[in-house]
Amino acid sequence: MTWQLFVFMLINGLCQGMLLFIIASGLSLVFGVLRVINFAHGSLYMIGAFLAYSLSTILAGESLMGFLILLMIVPPAIAIIGFVLEVSLFRRVYRQEHLLQLLLTYALVLILDDLVRVIWGGEPRSVTRPDLLAGSVNIFGMALPSYNVFILIVGPLIAFGLWFLLYRTRTGNIIRAAVSYPDTLGALGVNVSWVMTSTFMLGCWLAGFGGVLTAGLSNIDLGMGMQTIIECFAVVVIGGLGSVGGALLGSLIIGTGLTFFQLPFGRWALVFPYALMALVLVVRPWGFFGKPER
Amino acid sequence: MEQGKFRVLLALVLIVFSATLVVSSNASAADVIKLGFIADVSGIGAPFYKSQKAGLDMFIEEINAAGGIKGKKLELVVRDSQLKPDIGANQARELILSEKCEFLIGPTSSAVALAATKVAKEFKKIIFFHTSNAEALTTTAFQPYMFQVVPNTGIEGRGMAVVLSKKPFKKYSLIGPDYAYGHDQLNSFKSEMAKRRPDVEILDTVWVKLGESNFSTFIPTLMAKKPEAIDAAFWGSQLSAFIKQAKPYGVFKDAPVSSLFDLDMLRSTGSDMPEGLTGYARAPFYAIDTPQMKEFVKKYYDKNKEWPADWAIMAYDGMIALTEAMKKADSTESEKVVDVLGGLKFNSLRGERYIRAEDHMANVGIYSGVTTKSPDYKEFLIMKDVQAVPAEEVWLSVEEVQKRQSEQK
Amino acid sequence: MDDMTSSSRAGWITGITVTVVLFILPIFLGQLGKTGEYWIWVCTEMIIMALFAMSLNLILGFGGMVSFGHAAFFGVGAYTVALLMKKADFPLYLALAAAPLVAAIAAAIVGWFCVRLLGLYFSILTLAFGQLLYMIVFQWYTFTGGDDGLHGVPRPEILGPVNYYWLCLILFVICFLIIRMIVNSSFGLSIKTIRENMERAKFIGINVRRYQLLNFIIAGAFAGLAGGMLCELNRFAQTEFLHWSKSAEPILASLVGGMYSLAGPAIGSSVLIFLKIFLQQVHRSMVEVWAIVLGVLLLVVVLFAPQGLVGLYQNIFKKSQS
Repeated sequence: MTWQLFVFMLINGLCQGMLLFIIASGLSLVFGVLRVINFAHGSLYMIGAFLAYSLSTILAGESLMGFLILLMIVPPAIAIIGFVLEVSLFRRVYRQEHLLQLLLTYALVLILDDLVRVIWGGEPRSVTRPDLLAGSVNIFGMALPSYNVFILIVGPLIAFGLWFLLYRTRTGNIIRAAVSYPDTLGALGVNVSWVMTSTFMLGCWLAGFGGVLTAGLSNIDLGMGMQTIIECFAVVVIGGLGSVGGALLGSLIIGTGLTFFQLPFGRWALVFPYALMALVLVVRPWGFFGKPER
Repeated sequence: MEQGKFRVLLALVLIVFSATLVVSSNASAADVIKLGFIADVSGIGAPFYKSQKAGLDMFIEEINAAGGIKGKKLELVVRDSQLKPDIGANQARELILSEKCEFLIGPTSSAVALAATKVAKEFKKIIFFHTSNAEALTTTAFQPYMFQVVPNTGIEGRGMAVVLSKKPFKKYSLIGPDYAYGHDQLNSFKSEMAKRRPDVEILDTVWVKLGESNFSTFIPTLMAKKPEAIDAAFWGSQLSAFIKQAKPYGVFKDAPVSSLFDLDMLRSTGSDMPEGLTGYARAPFYAIDTPQMKEFVKKYYDKNKEWPADWAIMAYDGMIALTEAMKKADSTESEKVVDVLGGLKFNSLRGERYIRAEDHMANVGIYSGVTTKSPDYKEFLIMKDVQAVPAEEVWLSVEEVQKRQSEQK
Repeated sequence: MDDMTSSSRAGWITGITVTVVLFILPIFLGQLGKTGEYWIWVCTEMIIMALFAMSLNLILGFGGMVSFGHAAFFGVGAYTVALLMKKADFPLYLALAAAPLVAAIAAAIVGWFCVRLLGLYFSILTLAFGQLLYMIVFQWYTFTGGDDGLHGVPRPEILGPVNYYWLCLILFVICFLIIRMIVNSSFGLSIKTIRENMERAKFIGINVRRYQLLNFIIAGAFAGLAGGMLCELNRFAQTEFLHWSKSAEPILASLVGGMYSLAGPAIGSSVLIFLKIFLQQVHRSMVEVWAIVLGVLLLVVVLFAPQGLVGLYQNIFKKSQS
């Protein structure tokens, strides 16, 4: 492998990782505050992708503006769905055992995935990339799609935005406090249930955002939610449950790992995320950045 | 602690159970011939399904309008196997036992087909394949209750090797879906290429899960060894996703891609389809010049307001062969019709064809050509310079077929 | 718990009645021609999935360990039977005997790591190992057939649909009695003590990890047997058998049927399978929305009746628990 190819593969892998990060960070954030592993996160991501598809047929533009409008409309729409789900369902099971919480989110997977089938049918769809992002960028004589470069730029922006929100704003302080000291927070007069609702909505917003980006990258189909949620689990576990920074590290490891291992190991590369996930859980169950359970 | 509830439950179960039995045993009627269609309705074969269904519906409407077969009307029962062999096999069983289907119609996915053919054999019901085409169906998994009216993976893989061996390329990379169809197809391509062009080198074979449409990790791997040409065994939405994503990776600048350029794929890829690629189709309506085809295309266009894809044509041909067999056997029962399948001649839309006795494979070949824009069809590209590669040129010899069939378990 | 009390005797009577009814069922179904054959097939599947659900409940209900990778052992059992019979020409009885053994070995390896973790982390690690096994089976195309699965598993001539039903029923009854024995043994009591209070269990000298591991292995073995039986019924093994969504099925069954009783998961599993086919027979389009029906049912159970159908029944009729 020449170093040019190495750099090309690295950039390509990082871009895969960034897309994964946007989705997985939402899952991790929600777990951090709500202590619920949300299986339905993948379904919300899928709904985001399909909404983007439907809207793109209405907007009928291949202009960058049309695509940016999708990115502005769809994630908030998913956040609103998240709001409804949190207030009507999730809230009832926070004090229940883990199993019931998991099963509640699994029930949502069954319902939401089938609703997508009923509404959009079983045919794979895709969103046409805007003209400006349809071409490619030259890296050492190798072409990298400009759309991937776009993801590579948007991903760190989201990461920075999350960091800023969590570490530089009062809301972020409260969210982080809710992760570490949920009981104390309530005693201090903070409306904890509001914190939970808004965190959940933020998680859904991220799922929706990832959905729109995926719709432009590849085909979207009924299986995408189920497939992605497991990859996100791997990411979140490797980085540490509840840690957004961990999700970033986990996504980048998996994204670049999948790209690099494909060349020497072929199809066996796909085993890598799960092998790493199991290994991390055995050696350090709380992940790279997480904290041991209280 | 567990006494009363058992009795209540038991009583409940018995009541509902018997009610269901009554419902389900009333479902059959004697004066129809039920055809169970194990279809891949959802997933990457979804566009194919629409075409297949349109072709089948058209045939069934026509034959029912003409009085059916032996006074019985044909009726189609559809199940969605979602490209999953386990679901397909269970649905085949359900179609035979619960829906009382006398004949089965195969799916899109070869993996589902390999599963369904085992069930057809178990219950001695005829199944025909119009789209799924693993060569194994006629060799290692052969059973007499099936026939195939689609060029199989051997005919396709070797046929493309024949076409591409005339090109100057010496370094190929292969990419395909990681299941029966992809493996059969690329293996046939490799072995025929090695025979015809010993100087050709296969650099790498990249396997992608069936249905996976994000090629971001696969395309750089495919191009890493700098191939001169690529043979891709994808189909349907997976192929159009591959082509759309390969373009900005600069694949077409470096190496031409050959694959299955059927009408549905060309339609859904639209203007993203590059010109000048050598590929093949199974039944391109615009290149087959028979009077039957002309008439069919006109009827089809009038009815569906679109051109018939390969899948509609082959499904229609399968029905021609099946009903021809029923007439010849003068029976509508699989167990009698099966006796006339070997050697059966039928007048398909693609011309006169017959079913070879040894492996129940119809002598259907592929049509290779080069993609081009056409003034007649605005929304999609077609292939020009179309040449038929007849089945007889590339299908397995009878000895080879029998050798492989004897390895069957 | 329930020694030779009157309730236990009543339990025996119900159990024997149900078994007898199940044994003579195919004789009636046989009169219905193809419809009957279809329902014999459905009933065989119900019996097998009931065993699968009961095997999970050993660790879920009695052990209090939520495994999201139980389908891996089910799948390992299925592939053991398929590979031995298709590739090594093993007779059915040997293949069916090997299925729980191989599954137990897999469970021993996976379990050895998993029982070191508690609660949610245990669940996620079982999920990770389950997906790892799934991926290995999926990618090993030359050995397992990958995405194609292994179809056309041979079936001995004498085992027609009815005979195979009876074979499965006999195996189920034997397994049921063994599981009942395990649950009521001192081992079973220790497992339940660990579920209720792990600290106390440690304090009274129970080797928690060893007991949990042993329980995990036993559950894996029964799941493997169920997988092997299903493989022979459908005559194929498929990667989907190992997928995590398959692991959810017995959990749903246990939840619907009630996870603190012996027969609850078996009943829950049968009810769910039957409901699905019943809806399908009533109207074709119900297949499309089956997942929605199941999801809503699950939501209702989670929110309003976490004790399951059996618990709901007991609540309504104010039954005192023994």
